[in-house]
Amino acid sequence: MSTNLIQLGDIRKVYTIGGVTIDALAGVSIGIDAQEFVAIMGPSGSGKSTLMHILGCLDSPTTGTYVLKGRDVSGLKSDELASIRNRDMGFVFQAYNLLAQMSALENVMLPLSYANRTVNVGKRRAQELLERVGLKDRMKNRPVELSGGEQQRVAIARSLMMDPSILLADEPTGNLNSIGARQILEILKELHGEGKTIIYVTHDESIGNQAERVIRLKDGLVDAAKDN
Amino acid sequence: MDLRDSYRNATRAILAARMRSFLTMLGIVIGISAVILLLAVGEGSKRDILAQIQGSGSGNLFLTPGAQSSILSGPRATRDTGAKITMDDLKAIETKVTLPIVVSPANTIGIAVKSGTVTMAGSGVFATQTYFEVNNLQIASGRQLMASDVNNRTRNVVIGANVNTTLFPGGSALGKLIRIKGMSFRVVGIAASKGQSFMGNADNSVILPLTVGEKSFGMPHDTITMTTIKSVNPDDSALVARQITDVLTRLHHKTDFSVLDQKSLTTLFSSAMDIFTTLLAAIGALSLLVGGIGIMNIMLVSVTERTREIGIRKALGARERDILTQFLIESSLLSGIGGVLGVLLSVLSSNLIIKRFLPTAVTTSSVILAVGFSIAVGVFFGVYPARKAARLKPVEALRYE
Repeated sequence: MSTNLIQLGDIRKVYTIGGVTIDALAGVSIGIDAQEFVAIMGPSGSGKSTLMHILGCLDSPTTGTYVLKGRDVSGLKSDELASIRNRDMGFVFQAYNLLAQMSALENVMLPLSYANRTVNVGKRRAQELLERVGLKDRMKNRPVELSGGEQQRVAIARSLMMDPSILLADEPTGNLNSIGARQILEILKELHGEGKTIIYVTHDESIGNQAERVIRLKDGLVDAAKDN
Repeated sequence: MDLRDSYRNATRAILAARMRSFLTMLGIVIGISAVILLLAVGEGSKRDILAQIQGSGSGNLFLTPGAQSSILSGPRATRDTGAKITMDDLKAIETKVTLPIVVSPANTIGIAVKSGTVTMAGSGVFATQTYFEVNNLQIASGRQLMASDVNNRTRNVVIGANVNTTLFPGGSALGKLIRIKGMSFRVVGIAASKGQSFMGNADNSVILPLTVGEKSFGMPHDTITMTTIKSVNPDDSALVARQITDVLTRLHHKTDFSVLDQKSLTTLFSSAMDIFTTLLAAIGALSLLVGGIGIMNIMLVSVTERTREIGIRKALGARERDILTQFLIESSLLSGIGGVLGVLLSVLSSNLIIKRFLPTAVTTSSVILAVGFSIAVGVFFGVYPARKAARLKPVEALRYE
């Protein structure tokens, strides 16, 4: 177990809304190895987005331990978490989350702005990544000038900018038609083939079943019976 | 994030909401213009007054009753203390001061001067024959007042250039009669135009024999409110001042008078004008404050509107200080551009418009101060919204619709 890339130990996340406490996660313990291709599934309200946010260091657990690459990150300060997100994580969101006033190329280069300046990657790499996702001719376009599938491919290029080991995708195909969804999934599989750890959230069985491993959540707990 | 990126981002954000950015800047433009213009008017008035003092003759000393000079505190203060300067005092000064001097006593009141149906407001200066020499007042036509006018209480007067042109447009008052307080006076001389001085506008004055004031205008008996003493050799003026002080202190047994030379008068007015200028600048600074609050307001709106953008940037690895810097650069850029525009506006309006009505002088230091202050306003009023943005939790910011 100690060789796991990600090790969650009894993770709980409790929200208090209007005096009512809600256990979004009620004690989740899972391990994910390097280079795994994992889908997190479950009905809405099962806690899969919360789990994704905690895995991505976008949110901290109320209690429990999160060991990432052998380092306990559950109690880190916000700036340390920011640097983990920058170096080790790539994010792909359902709503693409590109910055509207920037071109595709500028969006892809954005993580570089927050990187340690010694990281010597640049415009060239951003161009290569956009070429790779088939957007060679759309680099100067702004998000509004791109289709949903194209925007999501820009977002994937952006998530790869800092060459992270983990790619986290929250309903990456949720806003796309079947052709767009298939393209995105193809890219994710390809990246998995190159050795990236891919974790994505979906409620769509046909999408989820394409992963090598499915983690099912129910009421904030891992539905062990269905963890295949 | 390096600074070039930050500035590009800030410019982009400012341009994305052009109208809003412009209106926000306008608050700073007006504030900065107000500060610079009010400082310019203060500085201009100060220079004007100091130039007038300098122009009154470098060897002149000003003797007034009261330990605090009535030049600043006004005649009321001296009446209260009962301190006064009499003709005997002045005679004592003339005889006992060992250096060559010319003494010119004068009392001034506001008067209405009439000729036929025309009336004008002016000042009546009750003086002696020495007034013209000491105040460097030239006669354009006719003659000065003479010792005999003073001794015999004649109703002869010398009028200023404006009085002549107002009462006798296109003609000369010389030899004619004018009426003051129901009495007739004969114009025996017309002074050359001299303009405004810190003692009043000589061009709007009527100079009457000193003795007439007490007899016909109810001026207090044997009391001189303003005596100008000219040291014939300007370099001796400090020594003359000391001798006058000695003579009068012995006569009065106390120092209930003040002798000011040009230098101390300059200092006195300088500091008074500086207070005045500071007050003006403070009023201007208030409008700058309002402009700063405008910036804070718009930055708060901007942070709310861009919550999702902040969330995205944080997800990509932006630290609190990156977000803080981003918004601070934006607010200081807004106020800095506003400040520069404000400087341009104030320099233009000072030189093209206000100079016609008021003396102004835009100083380099006021410009530097104003621009520096405007950037400081941007940073100060930007800190709260920027901190608010920086402290957003990434997951909450991303969820924001």
